[in-house]
Amino acid sequence: MAEPAPSPPGEAPGTEEKPLLWVTRPLATAARQFAKSLWRPSTVIYPFERLEDPKFRGEVAVASGRPIGVGEIWDNYRGVHALNINTCISCNLCAFSCPDVCIEMVTVPGGDPKHPKKCPQIDYGKCSFCGFCSDACPEGCLSMTTRYELTAHKREEMVYSPAKMFEVYKSKLPMNPIRVERPKNEDQILLDPPICIGCNACARDCPTQCITMLDIPKTTPKPGEKVPKRIWKEPVINDSDCVRCGTCISVCPKDCLFWGTRQ
Amino acid sequence: MSTITLFSASDAIAAFLLAHIAYVFPAPVKGWITSGDVVLGLASLIFGVILLGASMINTIMLIWWERKLLGRFMDRRGAMHVGFAGLLQNFADGLKLFRKDTFRPSKADSLGFWMSPTAYMVTSVVIFGILPISTGWNGGSLPLTLLLALVIFSFAPLFIFLGAWASNNKYALIGGMRSAAQMIAYEVPILLAVVAVVVLSGSFNLTTIVLEQRNYWFWAPLFLALIVFLTGMLAEMERIPFDLPEAEAELVEGWNTEYGGMLFAFFMLADYVRYLVGSILVVLLFLGGWTLPTYVPSALTSFPLAGIFWFMVKAYLVFGGFVWVRASLPRIRTDQLLRLGWMRMVPLALLSVVLAALVVAAHCLPVLGCVPSMGG
Repeated sequence: MAEPAPSPPGEAPGTEEKPLLWVTRPLATAARQFAKSLWRPSTVIYPFERLEDPKFRGEVAVASGRPIGVGEIWDNYRGVHALNINTCISCNLCAFSCPDVCIEMVTVPGGDPKHPKKCPQIDYGKCSFCGFCSDACPEGCLSMTTRYELTAHKREEMVYSPAKMFEVYKSKLPMNPIRVERPKNEDQILLDPPICIGCNACARDCPTQCITMLDIPKTTPKPGEKVPKRIWKEPVINDSDCVRCGTCISVCPKDCLFWGTRQ
Repeated sequence: MSTITLFSASDAIAAFLLAHIAYVFPAPVKGWITSGDVVLGLASLIFGVILLGASMINTIMLIWWERKLLGRFMDRRGAMHVGFAGLLQNFADGLKLFRKDTFRPSKADSLGFWMSPTAYMVTSVVIFGILPISTGWNGGSLPLTLLLALVIFSFAPLFIFLGAWASNNKYALIGGMRSAAQMIAYEVPILLAVVAVVVLSGSFNLTTIVLEQRNYWFWAPLFLALIVFLTGMLAEMERIPFDLPEAEAELVEGWNTEYGGMLFAFFMLADYVRYLVGSILVVLLFLGGWTLPTYVPSALTSFPLAGIFWFMVKAYLVFGGFVWVRASLPRIRTDQLLRLGWMRMVPLALLSVVLAALVVAAHCLPVLGCVPSMGG
């Protein structure tokens, strides 16, 4: 292009002497960029091509020398949940731990009629992807995958039923392997024997069936002492099977179960 | 040069159509329908429709071409989903604009507001009818085609300023003022650069100018004039880096701030018609029009409509150059713009006229010209 006007005072020094460079330098830069992107611009046409496809990131990853390349999804990415319905024990811990109250336990087929099997249903409209639920899950059946596409046309479509999350599980996406280990010296469930009436509610509702009701000797009340009517049984918790879900505490009608440390 | 021109073709179509239509009518009407004047009138209409269609399709293709090129300059792809490689995207955009409501601000002046887009559009399309794309493309070979084209081209500031004033909007008014100042400032160097071409070719007729370039395209001997003409055309088209009249960062959308829907589409289409006309003028004046050098194999120049094809290839490449400039340079200030116009471009243009006169006087065109002709 033609010679531009001389630089007025206040322009960057150095360019004043060579005003032609104002024009030629940007033109050369643009031409270089044009030549570079003539065959293939660096745009990845997202719905049709994906950055996590190694085809579109392999060279970048090698060149940058990083363990994980550009566009690769990290292992601990917290995306859509995968739920293994078969191993879910309906312990409610995910729903308890959810800070957004977006998990609801809904009935799924497979339980017996008296105790229907319940699995989490997640409303992704509310979910903040904190991952507490998958950390809390004692059986490891609820975990987060690398799936990040959640767009929907209606709010109702954002609610993922257990069956839908089971589909995600079956698609064998990489799952988040990083889990918070449950601490070993965790509180256990203790019993206050004098209050227990042996009602069997804890044993009935324990998701892992680790509570057994054992017979205890009948005690005769001292004269004048008021003793409630009770069944002469007491829960014994198999500590290795207990997942610390707290269901027994919440169902106990007499509040005789509590968290504590056995001496 | 073939003897079939666009006008003779439309004349034949008109005669054919009228002869068949007249067949169903009784005797007196039949004779009246097939009379020469009616055929001529219908032929003019068909001619106009073909020109309009060609200019509109080319304009929309030009928008596509700019979007694709600009995308590559910015390391992206431009339109690519509607139609093959996004070819139909602009038609879809036009349809969207067509369906939109057009309204006038309540304080705007009605006559000026409605008239300005129409007049801008009409004056832009009319130039397209004058330009010879190939031998026999234009209706008649007027002796002063070049002057006429430039005169119509310079109508634009009037209508832009009219629309800007009628909008009753401060941004529009500032944009219109800038547009008028800029266009008037750059008319002078453009006309002087054109004078250099006229000196060399000895004619104001665009067809003659192209035929004069059979042997030597004018870009080499008139390189200075070419640079002045390109710069001036950029300013006349209000393209970056001379897009002060619609500087988006300062004036919302410049002089067409208040226009929406189809009225905006009119302005935009007319703008692109003007870009097309500017590119075509560069090709006509400096790049040999529809002629090709002799070393090009004859297979490439002898197929039907080869002239039009190569002409449009050249015009689109010239417009690609404009896009290149748009992708590279930032917008300049008003004082820089006017100083560049009056203090650099005008002297350079005068110098190019002198150079052209010297070339003619010394008969040294064969030495300077570097592109051999197709005729030999």
